Amino acid sequence: MVNSLELQGETFPQLLLQRLEHDAARSAMREKAYGIWQTWTLGQLCEESFALAAGLADLGFARNDTLVIIGDNRPRLYGSMIAAQALGGVPVPAYQDSVAEEIQYVVDHAEARFIIAENQEQVDKALEIREQCPRVERVIYCDPKGLRKYDPRVVMDIETVMARGRELLKADPDKINAEIQKGKSSDTSIILYTSGTTGRPKGVVLSHENLLVTARNTNEFDGITADEEVLAYLPMAWVGDNVFSFAMGLVAGFCVNCPESTNTVAQDLREIGPTFYFAPPRVFESVLTSVMIRMKDAGRLKRSLFDHFMKVAKKTGVALMDGQSVPTWDRFHYWLGELLVYGPLKNTLGLSRVRVAYTAGEAIGPEIFEFYRSLGINLKQLYGQTEATVFITMQPDGVVRSESVGTPPPGVEVRIEENGEVVYRSPGVFKEYFKNPEATAETKTSDNWVHTGDAGYFDDEGHLRIIDRAKDVGKLNDSSMFAPKFLENKLKFFPEIKEVVTFGDQRDFVTAFINIDLDAVGNWAERNNVAYASYQELAAHPEVYALVQECIEQVNQSLAQDSHLSSSQIRRFLILHKELDPDDGELTRTRKVRRRIINERYGDLIEALFDGRKNCFISTEVMFEDGRQGQIEADLEIRDAAVSEEHSRAAA
Amino acid sequence: MTNEQTSEILLEVDAISLSFGGVHALVDVSFDIRKGEVRSIIGPNGAGKSSMLNVINGFYHPQQGTITYQGQARKQMRPHDAAAGGIARTFQNIALFKGMSTLDNIMTGRNTHMSKSLFWQALHIGPARREEIEHREFVEHVIDFLEIQSIRKTPVGRLPYGLQKRVELGRALAAEPTLLLLDEPMAGMNLEEKEDMSRFILETNDEFGTTIALIEHDMGVVMDISDRVVVLDYGRKIAEGTPEEVRTNQDVIDAYLGVSHD
Amino acid sequence: MAFDIFLLEVIISGLMTGVMYALVALGFVLIFKASGIFNFAQGVMALFAALALYDFLAEDGWFFAVFGFTLPVWLAIPATGLIMVVLAWVIERTVLRFMVKQNEIILFMATIGLAFVLEGLGDILFGSDVKPLDIGIPQGASDWLLDNFNLYIEQLEIFAAGTAAVLVVVLAIFFQRTRIGRALRAVADDHQAALSVGVSLDRIWVIVWSVSGIVALVAGIMWGSKSGVQFSLSLIALKALPVLILGGFTSVPGAIVGGLIIGVGEKLAEVYIGPMVGGAIENWFAYMLALVFLLFRPQGLFGERIIERV
Repeated sequence: MVNSLELQGETFPQLLLQRLEHDAARSAMREKAYGIWQTWTLGQLCEESFALAAGLADLGFARNDTLVIIGDNRPRLYGSMIAAQALGGVPVPAYQDSVAEEIQYVVDHAEARFIIAENQEQVDKALEIREQCPRVERVIYCDPKGLRKYDPRVVMDIETVMARGRELLKADPDKINAEIQKGKSSDTSIILYTSGTTGRPKGVVLSHENLLVTARNTNEFDGITADEEVLAYLPMAWVGDNVFSFAMGLVAGFCVNCPESTNTVAQDLREIGPTFYFAPPRVFESVLTSVMIRMKDAGRLKRSLFDHFMKVAKKTGVALMDGQSVPTWDRFHYWLGELLVYGPLKNTLGLSRVRVAYTAGEAIGPEIFEFYRSLGINLKQLYGQTEATVFITMQPDGVVRSESVGTPPPGVEVRIEENGEVVYRSPGVFKEYFKNPEATAETKTSDNWVHTGDAGYFDDEGHLRIIDRAKDVGKLNDSSMFAPKFLENKLKFFPEIKEVVTFGDQRDFVTAFINIDLDAVGNWAERNNVAYASYQELAAHPEVYALVQECIEQVNQSLAQDSHLSSSQIRRFLILHKELDPDDGELTRTRKVRRRIINERYGDLIEALFDGRKNCFISTEVMFEDGRQGQIEADLEIRDAAVSEEHSRAAA
Repeated sequence: MTNEQTSEILLEVDAISLSFGGVHALVDVSFDIRKGEVRSIIGPNGAGKSSMLNVINGFYHPQQGTITYQGQARKQMRPHDAAAGGIARTFQNIALFKGMSTLDNIMTGRNTHMSKSLFWQALHIGPARREEIEHREFVEHVIDFLEIQSIRKTPVGRLPYGLQKRVELGRALAAEPTLLLLDEPMAGMNLEEKEDMSRFILETNDEFGTTIALIEHDMGVVMDISDRVVVLDYGRKIAEGTPEEVRTNQDVIDAYLGVSHD
Repeated sequence: MAFDIFLLEVIISGLMTGVMYALVALGFVLIFKASGIFNFAQGVMALFAALALYDFLAEDGWFFAVFGFTLPVWLAIPATGLIMVVLAWVIERTVLRFMVKQNEIILFMATIGLAFVLEGLGDILFGSDVKPLDIGIPQGASDWLLDNFNLYIEQLEIFAAGTAAVLVVVLAIFFQRTRIGRALRAVADDHQAALSVGVSLDRIWVIVWSVSGIVALVAGIMWGSKSGVQFSLSLIALKALPVLILGGFTSVPGAIVGGLIIGVGEKLAEVYIGPMVGGAIENWFAYMLALVFLLFRPQGLFGERIIERV
């Protein structure tokens, strides 16, 4: 194994060629198929990728061409990224759950002539958009199931392309190597389309240098080695997967594991036992919720054992991990807990081998964060974005807080602007937005500082705290600050609440829309004999309203503690009759609220929240799973929530 | 779907009559199933469709008539012989082994292909073990085909209805059947599940050349996927032919619209 | 110290009796698991097996009368096993075959009838006197334990425990790992579905009854060696009932653990509670324990897992 820092390759394919000399027999990727983990050595991965590259070249794929890749995490798809890069082309992964229309935008904007699609589902989408994207010449698939009768002039098996490539390589073995040597570090490595909260997606162009330098720095920061096990289960179109699975994996030389299917991730996680793990807060949250639900249904002995040792963990776990001194007795008590509770629990969750785990994207609930850390899982937060090749700040081991997101890692500079906006400069700063110089100019200054659009500040410890989107931070009529996302996240920490939208900018007070969590509230309903037939019925139930009101009033109490936030207490709320849904355009694919659309669709409800009405009728158009349109109607109740006095008596 | 109307006859039922203590379930029913086709049996409730399938795989023994399967004529089938002869089936009300995992359920489908003696089986070594692995591999392909990897180890009793139906199809497919009998494979499913199931049925017919006889209520599905249709009413055959022929047949229209049996 | 040894002896002797109970209960579990039938005749099958074995070995039996010689033990045991297989086949042919679609209670009644027939048959064929069964299992206390630990334990009981353990392991593998085992579980779950995948019900039932017949043979040998082959042997079937209630009707390990608990429980009760209420607790203690279980954990210790994992 070569030390990753000695590798001098300027592009990923160059890096691979170097690594091949020593590491050809090392496991590079695994995928579970037919119930068994199948391994690709680095040698096999390269052989397949280069064969594919040769085959693609034969089909006319040339330098600077884009290759759109749609599918779940598969070694073959990662291989096709390498293939495109080897030819000096640019892989453009698209979100695999996008509808055809969204893919059309990416294919069209990226001017792609070639699409690699995982299976029939993705091929169908690719063919559906062919009329609007006449540039597309070939759709290449990996899984032939159901595809036998498709037009072979357009739709091809990846095996066929690779076989053709192998033939060509036999005649000219150096063909691909020669192409690879032409690469430069400033070449575009990948274009990642971000699903912004407003407007069309933007294609973030990252160079090989961006990714290679970032991967090296991060590997060093957290001591990532070739011995890590990583599960690649987040969308390939997301920058995180590209950095954690692809870039860091190829640089450090660790093995990347692909789950069998999206439904088997939990099982695969257990089988692999990753040592380096990333998940967005909602994953940690839903795992915790399911643990809690299971414990509520467990036997009395088991439950009391769990409760007892979770208290122990809360007391000692984090201190132990941060290397503080802990009395021997507590140490022993914790050890006992590890034996009886934490160990088995981590094992079932597939987290028993985790050395470093990260979460990012949104704020994580302090309770949730503490839960994992107290179990001895080194869960940390980072703050980043696609434009930065992920990393803006990270939490170093030993100084991990739930409310802040750490300090800038080596090589990154961070500043706070006048208006509170966070800006940064780093080796990971993106080249440009693809074919969008105006947006590039808006975001990136000439001396390479990038505007994040987030509002935040450095706290007394020197750690960055993010409050909200800079443009979303508004003012109440009494001119105090109104940070909607901050409030929403506070509410979302309750397992019963899934989604929240708050209103208050240029208003007298703050109000909220609530989406209940069907799993958690459904479970609660079952235990409390509350009958319901649908989400809508459950959401309108008076007892559910009472449940939510309790959550809101708890938040109000904590807001009252802080003089800046006291006027942001939520005075009125309603529970929406339907779940906010990306298919209806109310959320982005990454489940962020689209405020503009909410304001349009539910304007009347918002007015009702402020004008004192006790209820309000609403009729909404929705898209069903099968693509049909329909109407949902409801008469929603609006409730008042109790507001606490500033520095309240609630302490009792 | 094959359009070869001239292909070999796989199964022929001739003048079958079946009654239970005076109630006539089937009266003088004759039709055939050709190799490689998708044959639908339709009819109003209580028309005798399920009885027909039960006769074919030997659950019911008709009082009259003959069943000719793969050239061999007999008065009645026995379930064991039907299975050994390559007839696999699913049930209207799902008959899975509830206590067993998805994997084990589908493994039971391999039953007729397992040959090693009880002795080796009991020792669980040598040839039996090798055989077990081969069958497991086959079953894994079925699991992959039906996209049910995530429930491999789940006891089927805990699965939702639509998935149970899929597992049941998997168990039937594991037998590598020559003739696959499906009793209302899409009953109680939502639109998406129905589409998936239609896809699996067509692909089975397409990729493995399996002959399929199915009972289905959803006319849209029947018209979409069948090569030929036979219509039963009150235990009698009232029509047969291509979906188009059957759709325009006046007797069939009457049976569905005019006469209610419920 | 002396007290501790005594307690230990009581517990161990209870455990050994428990193993005997467990052996009988095991036969019940097998048939119940595969066919949902509560085989009332299980105890009588053990008796019948012991009688048949005795007949092959003794000079006052039919076999000697007909052929003029007795079989050696190593041949007599498989021969008896063969008889139990034949018996299973006969039962399937003459009884079960005609009851396939009947209610479970009818099948249960049929096994009661079967019990009487077998018992009568045994009486007619072999007579009702107590017969000593000696197949060469060492008798008397284990000297080694007596010398080294001052413990008095019958070698026969140690032997029985070892046999039971082996039997359980073999059965567990048989059920979990083999095709036949899977077919058995399939039949237990759903008759129709099992038929549709080509499992032949007749054959499965013969196999199940054969296996439980052989388990009955083992139980018969142990009980017969301990207290002679006598008709009261069939009554241990009744003791197996509380064992099953404790352990769960469908669980092989449950039958074992249940047997051990009942064995130890009734011995301890006899020794420590018996004197307070005038003794003879041993005979009904097991039923009381079963009653308590029925109230608080009707599915038995191993009957059904309540906590289910994802």
